[in-house]
Amino acid sequence: MTPPATVTRVPSRRRLLFAVGALVAVMLSACAEDAVQDTWQPEGENANRIHNLQWPVFAIAGVVGLLVFAAIVWIVIRYRDRGQPIPKQSHGKPALEIALTILPALILVGVAVPTVGTLMALAETDDTECSVNVYGQQWWWEVEYPEQEGCGGIDREFVTSGQMVIPTGTKVLISGTSRDVIHSWWIPALNGKKDMVPGRVHTVRTQADEPGIYAGQCTEFCGLSHANMRMEVVALDPGDFETWKANQLKPYAAPEEGSVAAEGESAFISQCARCHVVDGLDDGGVNAPTQFVYSGTAPNLTNLMTRNTFAGAMFDLVTDECRERVWEATPEEFGERYLEGVTPECLNEVELRAWIKNAPAMKPMYTDGTKLGPTDGRSRGMPALGLNDDQADQLVAYLLERN
Amino acid sequence: MLTNGSKLLLAAATLAAVAAIVYGVTQDGTLGVVGLLSAAIALGLLAGIVIATRDGNVSAMDEAAAQTAVATHVAPEGNVWPLMVAGGAALVVLGLVTQSAFVMLGIGLLLIAGLQWMVDAWSQSASADGTFNRDTRARFAGPLEVPLLATAVGGVVVFSFSRIMLFLSKTAGPVAFVVAAVLILAGGFLFASQRSMRSTAVAGVTAFAALGLVAGGVAAGLDGERFIEEHETTALLREESECDTTDETHADENASQTVGNKAAVMADITLDSDGELTSKAPGQQASQRIVVGRGNPSNIIFHNESDEPRRLTLTMGQRPLLDEEGEEIDGQTTPDQRCTALAEEGGSQVLTFTIDKRSAVADEPFELTVPGVEGQAIEVVVP
Amino acid sequence: MAIIERPATEPVVAPTSTPTPTVTPSEAFGTFRRPVETTGWRAWVFTVDHKKIGIMYGASALFFFVIAGLEALLIRAQLAGPEGTVLSADVYNQMFTMHATTMIFLFAMPMAAGLANYLIPLQIGARDVAFPRINAFGFWCFLAGGIVLNLSWFLGGAADGGWFMYQPNASVPFSPTNGVDFWALGLQIAGIASLTGAINLIVTILNMRAPGMSLMRMPVFTWMMLVTQFLLVFAIPVITVAFFLLTFQRSFDASFFSPAAGADPLLWQHLFWIFGHPEVYILVLPSFGIVSEVLPVFSRKPLFGYPFVVFSGIAIGFLGWGVWAHHMFASGLGPVSVAVFATATMAIAVPTGVKIINWTMTMWGGKLRFTTAMLFAMGLVVQFTVGGLSGVTHAVAPSDTQQTDTYYIVAHFHYVLFGGAVLGFFAGFYYWWPKVFGKCLNERLGKWNFWLMTIGMNMTFGPMHITGLQGQPRRMYVTTDERAGEGFFNILFWNSVATIGSLVIAVSVLLFVINIVHTTRKEPTAPLDPWDARTLEWMTTNPPKEHNFDTVPTVTALDEFFHRKYQDVGEGDAHDLQRIATAEEILAEQEAKADEHIHLPSPSYWPLLLALSLPVIALGVIYGLVVSVVGGMLAIFAIFGWALEPATADDSEFDPPVDDEPSTELVTSD
Repeated sequence: MTPPATVTRVPSRRRLLFAVGALVAVMLSACAEDAVQDTWQPEGENANRIHNLQWPVFAIAGVVGLLVFAAIVWIVIRYRDRGQPIPKQSHGKPALEIALTILPALILVGVAVPTVGTLMALAETDDTECSVNVYGQQWWWEVEYPEQEGCGGIDREFVTSGQMVIPTGTKVLISGTSRDVIHSWWIPALNGKKDMVPGRVHTVRTQADEPGIYAGQCTEFCGLSHANMRMEVVALDPGDFETWKANQLKPYAAPEEGSVAAEGESAFISQCARCHVVDGLDDGGVNAPTQFVYSGTAPNLTNLMTRNTFAGAMFDLVTDECRERVWEATPEEFGERYLEGVTPECLNEVELRAWIKNAPAMKPMYTDGTKLGPTDGRSRGMPALGLNDDQADQLVAYLLERN
Repeated sequence: MLTNGSKLLLAAATLAAVAAIVYGVTQDGTLGVVGLLSAAIALGLLAGIVIATRDGNVSAMDEAAAQTAVATHVAPEGNVWPLMVAGGAALVVLGLVTQSAFVMLGIGLLLIAGLQWMVDAWSQSASADGTFNRDTRARFAGPLEVPLLATAVGGVVVFSFSRIMLFLSKTAGPVAFVVAAVLILAGGFLFASQRSMRSTAVAGVTAFAALGLVAGGVAAGLDGERFIEEHETTALLREESECDTTDETHADENASQTVGNKAAVMADITLDSDGELTSKAPGQQASQRIVVGRGNPSNIIFHNESDEPRRLTLTMGQRPLLDEEGEEIDGQTTPDQRCTALAEEGGSQVLTFTIDKRSAVADEPFELTVPGVEGQAIEVVVP
Repeated sequence: MAIIERPATEPVVAPTSTPTPTVTPSEAFGTFRRPVETTGWRAWVFTVDHKKIGIMYGASALFFFVIAGLEALLIRAQLAGPEGTVLSADVYNQMFTMHATTMIFLFAMPMAAGLANYLIPLQIGARDVAFPRINAFGFWCFLAGGIVLNLSWFLGGAADGGWFMYQPNASVPFSPTNGVDFWALGLQIAGIASLTGAINLIVTILNMRAPGMSLMRMPVFTWMMLVTQFLLVFAIPVITVAFFLLTFQRSFDASFFSPAAGADPLLWQHLFWIFGHPEVYILVLPSFGIVSEVLPVFSRKPLFGYPFVVFSGIAIGFLGWGVWAHHMFASGLGPVSVAVFATATMAIAVPTGVKIINWTMTMWGGKLRFTTAMLFAMGLVVQFTVGGLSGVTHAVAPSDTQQTDTYYIVAHFHYVLFGGAVLGFFAGFYYWWPKVFGKCLNERLGKWNFWLMTIGMNMTFGPMHITGLQGQPRRMYVTTDERAGEGFFNILFWNSVATIGSLVIAVSVLLFVINIVHTTRKEPTAPLDPWDARTLEWMTTNPPKEHNFDTVPTVTALDEFFHRKYQDVGEGDAHDLQRIATAEEILAEQEAKADEHIHLPSPSYWPLLLALSLPVIALGVIYGLVVSVVGGMLAIFAIFGWALEPATADDSEFDPPVDDEPSTELVTSD
């Protein structure tokens, strides 16, 4: 009764093990540089807390893993069947077992204590210096700054979307919820993620050390365009932040009479105002997004050109070179460059026009009128407006002035 | 020669078919016809099966032997079903005079008892041996009886449990759970530690526990609950524009007095003992205003720390007044309100609402008020 | 109904005397006789034999494995490069939902059920399970559920809400097609299979062990399956409730999860994960059991610390109920809840670590033969350790808020599920194939299978650790340049590597299939005990006779079979194991003592019919309740048929055994 042949040549096994080991080593050292959502590049107090807790645990886990792997390698080499007699039928050594049970338990207790401490610290909400509200909906983020004494004092609420601007070195508390399904707010450089659940309000502490733009993505599966739902947090020096804030609160500037932008204003009222809001624009009361969009709102376009992404931060409002200018800026340069906003030279006109004319062709959304029965005829996302080139020109001109 | 059973089934099938035709001719709608036709088909099928298998039935194949067989002369055993049928009939009559619920109960009892009576009668004339008959009956009726009875018993136990838990307050609830868990654990431990136990003892303890649960459930359920009447909720208050009332309405009676641990709400609104209304959102200072996203379903909890039952009412401007048929009456409006149920002294209630308009374009500001408490309001801002 | 009356032999008029009947109810009602075929397709479709059912479970599970694997390949093809166009967003969402659902519910659980069904009676010295017809019913239920689930592809689109189906995204306004309905109903039906199977196996294990086999003398595979079945008994009802709430929310306008009605969407998450976490132990404990069988045999030593392995399995079973919210660390639970669950999750790492230690110590000091089964088992020890350690990094809740919903989690659970459950199953295949089918799978092909699978698996899921920590979230139908980072080894690069790795896995699975075909055609019949194994299932013919054991063995020790073959003749501390009997001799001894009349459960139509009525009811919920009523009537008909059929088919109704073949059929009485 000989078992089937099992012998393999030792050298080939050793070579294979070596190759695997080398591969693992290469993998561990080869990462992307400057991945914008890297969780191991904290840029704020909260993310730092997480990182300081995280990397020692990884180190311990790595050591344990190496020990196990080394033990297996040793066993493979030392205890192969070389014709030795059947070994001692040991049934176990309880003392060893108990020791090797208690040791991991002690290590884990050592991990648990700082875990709970960090956890509690990250859940603190009483030391807030600036409150920002966030609403997730399919498939974009609305950012709302309530009237408050924090954030350097805000006298009147205002609403933006896609990019949240905060002052550096300030304890910002984001309170978020959702208007439809569960989304999740995640800016890896600044903190872990928090789900935004309809009917509930969850808070996320956020603090950025330096001026810059910090990228994030919705990280709770929210349907068709979940992959296209992004956002950024922009941190500005307190002085720059005051400038930005004042700009957001300035009164509506109507376009010059007879200009293309003025025609754009009429086009906006007839085509866009039933869903989108521009503060101060007299739209004759047509604004009723709850009749057209299932989640009940569309992005506020009052100061569209002060941010540099649109359509749920899926597309850039600026061309690639201008984008690089802002994204690759040093912390000292960043504030000034960001506050320039979107100039006509930098405008990503191609994608903006394409979006205005036919949004569903660029981003998967539920806007097919024949299939909207389950949502009472309301779309989820921006429908195709069927505009011609002239109308698109007018609207682009009008929107360029929204800064 | 057909057995009595097959004759009964054939007659029932024919009756159902005739009823289907009559119903279809005289009434609207297809549901009745479909139901009666299905019944006719099902009964016909059963009749077919009985007739096809009658070669195993002595009374069909050999009448003479059947006449003299012992089984047909055996006196029927004592039986509870006639009593149940009578009870059912009585309940139906009683219900026609008092509540319709009794009619339904009575009809249910009639059907069940009638069916059981039939099955018993059949099985008792199956053979001359009582044990065989009982086994037969169990074999046939078991697959239907056991699951249905188990469902009914299980349903009653669960329902009683739910009534008890709805009755208990927020602090008593966990205590009750813990006590129940400890009892079950203790009982299980006692059971496991015995070498052997009489089945009667186990049955007795289980029955005692179930009875206690049902009794508790009935008691808790009767306390303020109507018997099978439709619940009125605060939505009715909204429709009838009664959100301003300080009186206790139907909706308040039926509202659960416990707020099931509503977590992560938008704001906690507190009416303190001085009659002041404040709002506290997570991470923010107490204030007299809350900010709510437009088109966003929001939950707020109202804490009533005053010494009278109070409700919280949200007013969102005006809405068109509707007549009885739900049509709008021109030019007439009524306040558009949402409200909580009455919160008892020291209690809490939840309010869920969605506001579709921005405050900036609304005719009147949105605000939260407490009917009966003057001068206190929380401004609701929708940017 | 036919009521048979035997008239009294003399005309009797006194109504009080009751002659004893000559007929018992089970013999009296013979409207439908039991099927009696022992060959051909009917022998399989109406069987209640645990071995045939086990094989059917295994074959169906492998089929679904291939389907889910193809779904995975499509996912990887879409993510091979940036802005992929292989799948649209909608189809991609359906694809990853169905990949996970199929792998978990239609491959891993049934495969474990198949192995358990086949092996547990053999390992405990029983002739079949406690409820053979329910066993058959369970299999057909699973198959029906799997078919209902996959029908959705052809009937309007599969479910697209992720296998976790979070509300409110899975409710009608956000998932308007019928896909989610098919998903919930199909899994509901498959859940019935798991539940009935669990009850069946628990009763079998607790009641039908051979004399002398105490619980602490049972093979570890049986022990781990016992814990798994208890987990199923308590977990499946939770997901059943969740599915009912989901079906009512979608099909009957309930408001369980509607925020506008005041409901909390987190209710679904809690219900799902209270099931979902024990579920992952349900998926992996069977493979732990397999590995605990394979390693001792090929190390020529008993399992190190048998009581510790058993009790750590039980501990995992208990602790697994207290950690569910670690899937919800970012869902907005308060810090106290999160702290409690984080601590509990760390606690559960301890018993799992105990097992790894015990397996390693089993091999330590042994005499290792590196057969394919052994390679897979060792692979599990290594790969599961990687997965388990990344799991410990998630237990640190603040860390988890950075890791959850990224590819780091995908890496973790694929290491524990692929590296744990799948590698364990493959070890089981190569180990038990000769017993089940009479031939050993080809070892050379097997080794290629193993190495390609290991390399492919690590190529696919290893880089996901990196891409996840660098910010690639899950469930995204495209990868983009903007978020991929700079440099050669950026996220896009590692995604391409992962895609290539998935192709390597596909090749290794193909090799396995080729191995099966080749073995069936070309390999010689295997000896009775090719691996010199330790447990009772090897004390049978290849494949086992229908009645398993000619005489039920009496068990005197753990690893009973090994003790019958070997005796320690050393003195004092010295050990010297000498062979005292071969497997053939032991088997011959058993055959000589064969029982006279072995009565096996007869085949039956009704489990199949009852299982077929369930998809009809399900389809009715989606398309019209009239259909459900028809299905319900079919179900009642089948239940009555089941209850009323004769307890056994008459012996004389079976084909007599052919004389010159070894007896694989019932021993009939004569």
